[in-house]
Amino acid sequence: MKDVWRGILLFFHFFFLTELRKYISYFVLLLLCIGLASAGTMAQTGPVPPLQDAPSAEDCGITLSGTVTDHEDRSPLIGATVVLEGTQHTSITDANGHYHFHDLCPGTYRLVVSYIGYNPERLEKSVRAPEVINFRMHPDALQLHSVEVRVARQREEVTQATSQLKGQELRQTQGQSLAQSLERMTGLTSIQTGPSIAKPVIHGMHSNRVLVMNNGVRHEAQQWGSEHAPEIDPFVASELTVVKGAAGVRYGADAIGGVILVEPKPLRDSAGTSAELNLVGVSHNRQGVLSGMVESNPAGIPSLSWRLQGTLKKAGNSKTPDYYLANTGYQEQNFSAAAGWTREKLGVDAFFSRFDTKLGVFSASHVGNLTDIRNALQRERPEPEAAFTYDIGVPYQNVTHDLFRLHGFYRTGPASRLLFTYARQYNQREEYDAHGDSSRPGLRFEITTHSSEAVWEHPLIWNLKGSIGATYQYQFNRYEGRFFVPFYQMHTGGLFWIEHWEKGKWHVEAGLRYDYRYLQAKLYRKDTPERTGQSALDNELLTPTHRFQNLSGTLGAIYHFGPHLDLNLNASTAWRSPTTSELYSNGIHHGTGTYEYGNANLGVERAYNFMATLAYVQNKRLNGEISVYHNFIDNYIYQEPDTVPTLTIRGAFLTARQKQTNATFTGLDVSASYQLTDHLLFATKASLVRAYNRTADEYLIWIPTDRYENSLRYSVEQLGARGVFAQNFLQVSGLAVARQRHIPDNYLARDYAMPPAGYFLLNAEAGTTLHFGKQQIEVGLIGRNLLNTAYRDYLNRFRYYADEVGRSITLRVSIPLNF
Amino acid sequence: MKAFLKPSLAILFTASVFMTSCSNDEDPVPTNEEELITTVKLAFKPQGGGTTVTATYQDLDGDGGQAPTVTGATLAANKTYDVTVQVLDESKNPAEDITEEVEEEGDEHQFFYVASNGLNLTVAYTDTDSNNRPIGIHTRITTAAASTGNLQVVLKHQPDLKSATSTINTGETDAEVTFPITIQ
Repeated sequence: MKDVWRGILLFFHFFFLTELRKYISYFVLLLLCIGLASAGTMAQTGPVPPLQDAPSAEDCGITLSGTVTDHEDRSPLIGATVVLEGTQHTSITDANGHYHFHDLCPGTYRLVVSYIGYNPERLEKSVRAPEVINFRMHPDALQLHSVEVRVARQREEVTQATSQLKGQELRQTQGQSLAQSLERMTGLTSIQTGPSIAKPVIHGMHSNRVLVMNNGVRHEAQQWGSEHAPEIDPFVASELTVVKGAAGVRYGADAIGGVILVEPKPLRDSAGTSAELNLVGVSHNRQGVLSGMVESNPAGIPSLSWRLQGTLKKAGNSKTPDYYLANTGYQEQNFSAAAGWTREKLGVDAFFSRFDTKLGVFSASHVGNLTDIRNALQRERPEPEAAFTYDIGVPYQNVTHDLFRLHGFYRTGPASRLLFTYARQYNQREEYDAHGDSSRPGLRFEITTHSSEAVWEHPLIWNLKGSIGATYQYQFNRYEGRFFVPFYQMHTGGLFWIEHWEKGKWHVEAGLRYDYRYLQAKLYRKDTPERTGQSALDNELLTPTHRFQNLSGTLGAIYHFGPHLDLNLNASTAWRSPTTSELYSNGIHHGTGTYEYGNANLGVERAYNFMATLAYVQNKRLNGEISVYHNFIDNYIYQEPDTVPTLTIRGAFLTARQKQTNATFTGLDVSASYQLTDHLLFATKASLVRAYNRTADEYLIWIPTDRYENSLRYSVEQLGARGVFAQNFLQVSGLAVARQRHIPDNYLARDYAMPPAGYFLLNAEAGTTLHFGKQQIEVGLIGRNLLNTAYRDYLNRFRYYADEVGRSITLRVSIPLNF
Repeated sequence: MKAFLKPSLAILFTASVFMTSCSNDEDPVPTNEEELITTVKLAFKPQGGGTTVTATYQDLDGDGGQAPTVTGATLAANKTYDVTVQVLDESKNPAEDITEEVEEEGDEHQFFYVASNGLNLTVAYTDTDSNNRPIGIHTRITTAAASTGNLQVVLKHQPDLKSATSTINTGETDAEVTFPITIQ
């Protein structure tokens, strides 16, 4: 088994090591493979059988496909029903409005296309060979109200690579953090600080370079630190979308690495009341989760809809294969409430959510100086030893995040709207230290953010659909306790304009954005490296200010070769200003044994992102996507360890300074699936990224390693008497993560230990939906690290101290209720 | 364009711009780091009388900033000294003696003394905590032949870890300083 993996690894390395030029050849190779595969399926049709009027029920291998779009604005209609009247064949259009029928025999078919809010279309067509038939549907004036709902949900097609998680696949991640859920997508990993804190990493970039849009609002917290996970309850989301690449134009500066969109389900648009109850249990930390939701659209007041949702979570110490990790328990109490009022021409909705967590910081990671870290590295097992407990001792963090959002729209025409959003976020983080007074936090951050956005989506003009918008954000940060990041206030304003042009097989996207940022920090001289030791001088309040302004741009195109094959090309540029922590942090970072110095002279970082994605979708057997990217980042801000340690009375600490260099991030994401039989699906995923410091001519450190995942899924639609068990599946998957070998020389001058060995994990999942009369119950079982492998991950900041979590079984039950 | 000026929207827009365009004039409160150790002092009192010799490591502005000042000690050869260590926070006025705290929590603290190769002295603990384990605030140092070298003093915090098997490598470092010593 091991040799097979090594073989696969070598195979990928062979292609990857020879850099960009080889990518292109790889790309062409894949194109060829896909071409051959599709040619293969066509060759199966063989000699054309004699023409007959009524189509036979046999399988003759003819494909009928096409796109269903809106006649007015040419947008794809998602979920439209296409029926071949008089046969068993039905197809529902996908996210791009595509429908398709496979294995038809020659004959005359009557196609009927229907979609709520549109007049149905009928067409009689004699089919002899594979054919593409497109439909443009006319809105039904009587049903405009329901059309409204559809328009509000539709998202613009972007030319960058995107991944989505929803439905059953998203529900299978329940009980995990947001970052862990996202790891199912190719190109995504997470940077961890022990078992309780995980942050998403997109194409090797994280924290300040990844934006999280929570319910349309840019999530603002202490996102600078790798040990500050996004304060979002994943149970709120009904859809997680990741835009991989510089998406700064629509979402604002800083989105150099990508954007994570957390979208709740839209409020009910049909009269009635429903609820959902979710229960999750996880074995490795004996975690229990209870999450509930109730929503209603009262029959008496059809314009009004509301929803209440809440989650309770409690977990104890996590267990690795050989020992428990002391003080790694956590608990969460989250809730959200939403209400909306929608009329034909305008609508308003309000949303409030609170995320409240208390999480323990792994005891063995609380070390003093460099010597302590070296001692920890020598240990076989972390110190102190621990048993299982739900108790959380010092050090721990208490984090609350409140989001209030007011959103409104007003229709300025049949296909144009004015959208408006105001949001206030309040984030409070309390860090209780292992030393000193345990009744109050050693450090408390409070960060308040107000943001507003106005967007006008203009009507279709010369095949152009687009939006113009303005955004404004104010942020204030304060703290109490020991110094780490100063007080600051920040004003950020932006203007953007994005257009989409569609004609024939082309979809072109172009956008431009301007942002301006004013930042003022407040700190005493004693908290800067210019400290003098004389109290009169040291207690002087300094108020340095910074102004940053710049442009972001995007240009992309999608070429539809046919209903199954799309090529997306995108070139984008985005920038970000240094954060206050990169400019002014000054102090010891506990847990990493590093004395971190900010750099007040940092300038703007700019990225030029080039990306190509080839997608072969909605086919009967083979589906796949390959995405290559090359990201040039000028003035990339990073932490460079200094060769001279900082000497303190507690001994020596590694010195790290913020610096800028020119870097490149190059990578490849591949995913493919093949339907082996009606019930058996094989899927494979690979993501590779290389990050290079062009100035110093060496690799960057702390970059995700190569990942390969293969899975085999057996699914049966109906089982048992009268189909009591529906949507049944059983899946086994293997994840191989390589050792990071692309590292600079003299590695141990920058990190305490060499990258850990590669590892292989065996995972399995199973699920079913039980039907008891009208009542449904969905059950899922997930097993992670089934072989109980002891391993360490390169991107876990606590890999110096302990192994990763061992075998873990999750059982989840989801009960929808209709009243 | 008139449609845009619908009162409801106008109110919404104005309200939000008003709410957003606030600014905050609050200043940070100057805080002193809790439990800041600025000074480690060793007092060598020769047995049988004589002048007490002191060695000092002082870093008044805490981590970073100005470099610490270190004063070593010159000891006599073949002599025994009663040594007391003192840990101070001299950034406060009056200076705070942290040694008392260490003594109170003696069952989770220990001082370790490491002489560099070639420095001819031996260190013996003369105090104990509530579990009869050494703390190391009071020690006896015996010198031998004339030599020079460094004496490292390490204060370890070992909550629930201090035991018969705990060593200088156990727990978290609260202080770690090195004094140049001359024996003549």
